[in-house]
Amino acid sequence: MLDTIRFIISLLLTLGGLFVLLSGVVGIFKFKYSLSRIHAGALFDTVGIVLMMLGVIVGEGFTFTALKMLIIIGLLWLTSPVSSHLIGRLEITINDELEKDMMVLDQSMVRHEKEGD
Amino acid sequence: MAKIRNDYEHSWWPRLLQWLEDGSTTLDDELTDEIVESREGHLLPSHEDVAAHEARLEERHRKTLEDEQAMYDHAHQWSKTKGARLVDWIYRIMAVVICVSIIWVLLQTASYLPPFGSPDNPVNNEVSQRYIEKGMEETGAVNIVAGMILDYRAFDTLGESNVLFIAACSVLILLRVSSDKKHPGSVHQLEVEADDRMYEPKNDMILQHITAFLVPMILVYGVYGVMNGHISPGGGFSGGAIMGAALILYLNAFGFKRTERFFTFKTFKVVSVCALSFYAISKAYSFFTGANHLHSFITPGTPGMLFSAGLIPYLNIAVGAVVCCTMYAFYTHFRKGDM
Repeated sequence: MLDTIRFIISLLLTLGGLFVLLSGVVGIFKFKYSLSRIHAGALFDTVGIVLMMLGVIVGEGFTFTALKMLIIIGLLWLTSPVSSHLIGRLEITINDELEKDMMVLDQSMVRHEKEGD
Repeated sequence: MAKIRNDYEHSWWPRLLQWLEDGSTTLDDELTDEIVESREGHLLPSHEDVAAHEARLEERHRKTLEDEQAMYDHAHQWSKTKGARLVDWIYRIMAVVICVSIIWVLLQTASYLPPFGSPDNPVNNEVSQRYIEKGMEETGAVNIVAGMILDYRAFDTLGESNVLFIAACSVLILLRVSSDKKHPGSVHQLEVEADDRMYEPKNDMILQHITAFLVPMILVYGVYGVMNGHISPGGGFSGGAIMGAALILYLNAFGFKRTERFFTFKTFKVVSVCALSFYAISKAYSFFTGANHLHSFITPGTPGMLFSAGLIPYLNIAVGAVVCCTMYAFYTHFRKGDM
């Protein structure tokens, strides 16, 4: 009974991780602008792999290997956001047409302006 | 390079030759002839005669200069045209000769090899068996791979470390921007530094804090990998690569001003050369005593302890130092052209 519950939890975590990884891959290839792609890639690194590892930890039980995996999770959480931050900052530094690239058409704002007129 | 002289006729050697032949120089003879000719009619040479004589002298002088110039041109251009072609020709022939001789040596060696895939080959029944069965006992290393690459085949590993060192030297030759500390501010160097400043997010607070937390851990892990190379998986190459990566991360976070305090070009030189020399000398001692069945103070020790396995931990440290320095040198030279 307990084993079944543990297996189900592990399965759910792994499937959730797989879903996050899949959406990250789709985002990286679907988005046009680099900052949006960083968003997708950071999601991939921080949530997806962590969910997968938690699934493995729960499935295997809390052994010494699980401790090592927790350390890997900590390392990923330390490094992955920093690398995303650096890439984003580099993009902001070297892109001259940042304003144009980051133009967002907010539909509600557009409607407000029309009502104001 | 010899000094180029324009007054060859007036130098000692041709004058001596001339004097030996007929006691006077050619120029004197011609002059006397002309003067004698012109004196036939008059006592003094006419203006036309003098002018013509001067014109002839100038003509001769010009011709001599042209001849000399042609001679020097020929001599100077030999190295560019004919000499270059000759060297090119010799180069090609030597390349073919060396290639053919190497091919001949290798084919000759290959003909002595045992047949491929035969179960009776020595590699199938002696070497690996011996490594697995007696490796720990003979080398004292729990990690059989470390025992193999740093004891049985230590010569091969020395070659690999030297390959890394030579690769770093080639990168130095190709990419090193001359950094003259006494005369700073060559245009190229300033441009490079300005570029670096502009495109690199320096003084990044987030990166610096994370780096200050991570780099000691990574360094300790690299040292652990090097020191435990004979006990657990790891060793000089992987541990050195980890340490080099930590140094590169530190450089990226804090810039060259901070790393120059502890890692300059001199450090690279000293550490690499000392490590390789230590490796070569200690292994030469080990091979010498081993081959001559002399008593050696290097003993395998207790397998599993940190200070055991004879020379292996020290050789691991040497290899790790070389790998670490080489990685760092690669990165700095590809980025800035200097350390």
